[in-house]
Amino acid sequence: MLLAAHRLSHYYYALLPPKRRAPGTIVLRLLIFVGRTLAVILAKSDIYHATMIDEGVHLSNDGRLTIGARRIGRGTIIHDRVTIGFKAGAGIDPPMPTVGENVWIGSDCVIYGDIEIGEGATILPETVLSMNVPARAVVGGNPARIIAREFDNAGLRLSLATAVAETEFVQPCSPSVT
Amino acid sequence: MLPLRHVIRADFERYLGGNALSARRALSAVLRYPGLQALLVYRFGRICLAALWRPWWWPALPPAALFYLVAVAGIRTCYGIQLFQSAQIGAGCSILHFGGIEIANCRLGENCSIAQGTRIGSRTEPSGPTIGNGVWIGAHTKILGLVAIGSGATIGPGSRVIKAVPQRALVLGNPARIVFPAFDNSGIQPRG
Repeated sequence: MLLAAHRLSHYYYALLPPKRRAPGTIVLRLLIFVGRTLAVILAKSDIYHATMIDEGVHLSNDGRLTIGARRIGRGTIIHDRVTIGFKAGAGIDPPMPTVGENVWIGSDCVIYGDIEIGEGATILPETVLSMNVPARAVVGGNPARIIAREFDNAGLRLSLATAVAETEFVQPCSPSVT
Repeated sequence: MLPLRHVIRADFERYLGGNALSARRALSAVLRYPGLQALLVYRFGRICLAALWRPWWWPALPPAALFYLVAVAGIRTCYGIQLFQSAQIGAGCSILHFGGIEIANCRLGENCSIAQGTRIGSRTEPSGPTIGNGVWIGAHTKILGLVAIGSGATIGPGSRVIKAVPQRALVLGNPARIVFPAFDNSGIQPRG
């Protein structure tokens, strides 16, 4: 039951560090391809294999996630149909978003550009975000605006607390990324 | 309307970017891009439909139709891309990511780019949107109803288009508003 996307993303972490040490090894590339294909078929999500996803991150089970981020901090919850990626036409090796710790990202969000999302921010569903978000702010709308500041999203994240705990239980089978 | 083999060739050339078309590159592009697989299955369905009007092709039709249905179901379950035959997709279409793409009952011009989560047209309505050539459509866009989108327009991510969009305009937001009336989208085209 527990989310296929979690395990697959953990699988990516397991593959990622050796690939950095020895680029161009065909077997590892094949393994990464297999991992990404599994994510495609099981959860319809495409997660860039170099994304650093910390422990305790909750990715939605239903999937359709398209994630290419520099880093996703621990305790972050990402719901269905979220796109995180670089801005179109940003050139070779484009800068990707950085998501902080304990961020709550609602469904149907699009987050793009060279931005940073602060710790404990809340991004409401159907937000199209292309700007930096300060810590503990609430953003929403299309285009996004800051709706509230100093909002504590612990209550929002509490509903998925069991899932987060299970994710941390899964954690030992993958090497630490940091 | 171009002959179908030129249309498929244009699709491959779009996905390969500036590289010349060769059998090896074409095969790797098919393996790499789910959007290209979905597009090829859609074109195969077009061939099946064209065969309906040619009685000497009828013996090959049942296995071809069976293959088409199985391939469509596989692409829907694996990638979540649904390209219905009621849509007319022009040559050189580029579908970048996958997941939640549903294109039905509309008319797409040549060299369009479509991102993930896009929904164009509805299966139940009698008529759908008409989209010009070279339109760039961002992620999570919904284009519903009888709207016309001019050639070279750019539709930003997450927009809901309910009104007509003039040529080369950049629209954003929910509901979509014109942000720049003249925007050149050649810089944001996918690199293949």
